[in-house]
Amino acid sequence: MNNTVKFGKISFSDQLKSMLKVDFRRMSKSRLLYILLACALIVPILMTVMMAMMDGSVSVNPQTGEETIMKGPENTWQNIGTLPGSEAMGGMDVFAMCNINMMFMAAAVFICLFVSDDFRSGYAKNLFTVRSEKGDYVISKTLAGFACGALMLIFYFIGSVLGGAISGLSFDLQGLTAGNLVMCMLAKIFLMLVFVSIFVLISVAAKQKAWLALCGSLGGGMLLFMMVSMITPLGSTFINVILCLAGGVLFAAGLGAISNLVLRKTALV
Amino acid sequence: MNAVEIKNLSKNFGPKQAVCGLEMTVPMGAIYGFIGENGSGKSTTEKMICGLLPTNGGSIKLYGKDHTDAAVRAKMGVLIESPGCFPGLSVWDNMMLQAANLRIADAEKEVIRVLKTVRMEGAAGNKYKNCSLGMKQRVGIAMALLGDPELLVLDEPLNGLDADGMRIMREVFLDVIKDGKRSIIVSSHLLGELQKVATHYGIIRHGKMLCEMTADELDASCRTYVALQAGDMNRTGMILGGRYSRVEEDEAGYIRVYDPTTPEEIVSYLYENGICVTEIMTDKIGLEEYYIDLMKGGK
Repeated sequence: MNNTVKFGKISFSDQLKSMLKVDFRRMSKSRLLYILLACALIVPILMTVMMAMMDGSVSVNPQTGEETIMKGPENTWQNIGTLPGSEAMGGMDVFAMCNINMMFMAAAVFICLFVSDDFRSGYAKNLFTVRSEKGDYVISKTLAGFACGALMLIFYFIGSVLGGAISGLSFDLQGLTAGNLVMCMLAKIFLMLVFVSIFVLISVAAKQKAWLALCGSLGGGMLLFMMVSMITPLGSTFINVILCLAGGVLFAAGLGAISNLVLRKTALV
Repeated sequence: MNAVEIKNLSKNFGPKQAVCGLEMTVPMGAIYGFIGENGSGKSTTEKMICGLLPTNGGSIKLYGKDHTDAAVRAKMGVLIESPGCFPGLSVWDNMMLQAANLRIADAEKEVIRVLKTVRMEGAAGNKYKNCSLGMKQRVGIAMALLGDPELLVLDEPLNGLDADGMRIMREVFLDVIKDGKRSIIVSSHLLGELQKVATHYGIIRHGKMLCEMTADELDASCRTYVALQAGDMNRTGMILGGRYSRVEEDEAGYIRVYDPTTPEEIVSYLYENGICVTEIMTDKIGLEEYYIDLMKGGK
């Protein structure tokens, strides 16, 4: 009897391809993804329609008798970012905070649960027993999270347009061009990679503790949240896109390497 | 070449040493029964073999290569603690995910093959969370069998299985090793079941390998005894106790004489003392008793 066993060579790209196949197959079966995408589509429609309906209504403080006139959205693109010369960006304007940038935090929910499910279900054992490299896992999770985040941004954009159309809001870009709008969206999509890399690192470190991953990711995301509107304004140009792309790639590479190290040095079960 | 060769393996969890200086050899084509008390370090060792836990020292070689070798690891099947399935997905979807993970070309055909092997083809559409404990265990074993792995590491695979399930698993294990190259490491507390299939044994205690032996060596070192039943069991016990050094009553109510003797000698001795033997036989202690003796420090 021949007392040897031959093992074929497996390249990193083969491992990555199979990992991507696993993650995207799982994503396609994930109810959470569809719920988040549905929310991304419906929330801007509901928000825009409801705020438009409340426009001009007066609320009276029963103690002081002070009257407050509710101010609704004037423009569809307020859901995406601040328009130049807009006066309504004070602290009371709901669209200053609750706009498309919320999707950066919603992505945290998806990524934390997506990664922690691997460890909570025990599937991580099946994954890591047959793959000694951990880099493919980190890259695949980052790309899956990025795809989900990008989809949520696109769905929110579509929802905003639909909400604006239903409410009869203006689509005037007030001096900006459609190109600026496209650049703004592209910049946001690329910036999502920065957030996703952070969320993946925290989730990988927290493993099966989904609550810890969520708290950490939402906390970490909040620290960077305010910069989103600054880096990706409605008047974004090619420079914004390049900056966000470079930032995304750098963060993904740097934090990905740390995630890889965490997986190699810690228990996977 | 050995399937698994472990030298001086150590693992600490903080101040607690779970595995210390473990030496272990699993030959190719073996069903290696890995036995030990709860907390003796079996699962920790298995997790380190599978690369799920980093080691604190020592080396693990799989088929002569380091256990981190991607090509070797790709040909492993594992069932440790739980099958590792997503509860919200169906059995079929879970299997297809693992097939994708293993880069199996004809995934559907392979999934059907392993589900048939564990008699789960009829439950492929069930959601995993709705499966019974035994069905989940079968799914776990099916998952471990996907892609014809060279080395199977199974931790308590017989838990929750009914009699038919255990019989199927025995058939599966024997089928896996029939080419003499593929190997199985199986830990189980069901020692009677394990003894039916294991070709090699390793007994671990406090993180150290107490002994390793083949099934034949175990058979040779298991003591023989004469078991008997007689009319007056109390008196029989006293009379035999006066002549032989080790006389015990077992759970089934038989008196066992472990000293080297023959049934004829015992029957005539008891007859001389006015006791009529109703049943007598010679037998050997099983793995379970051998293990208990070993743990007690006996021979």
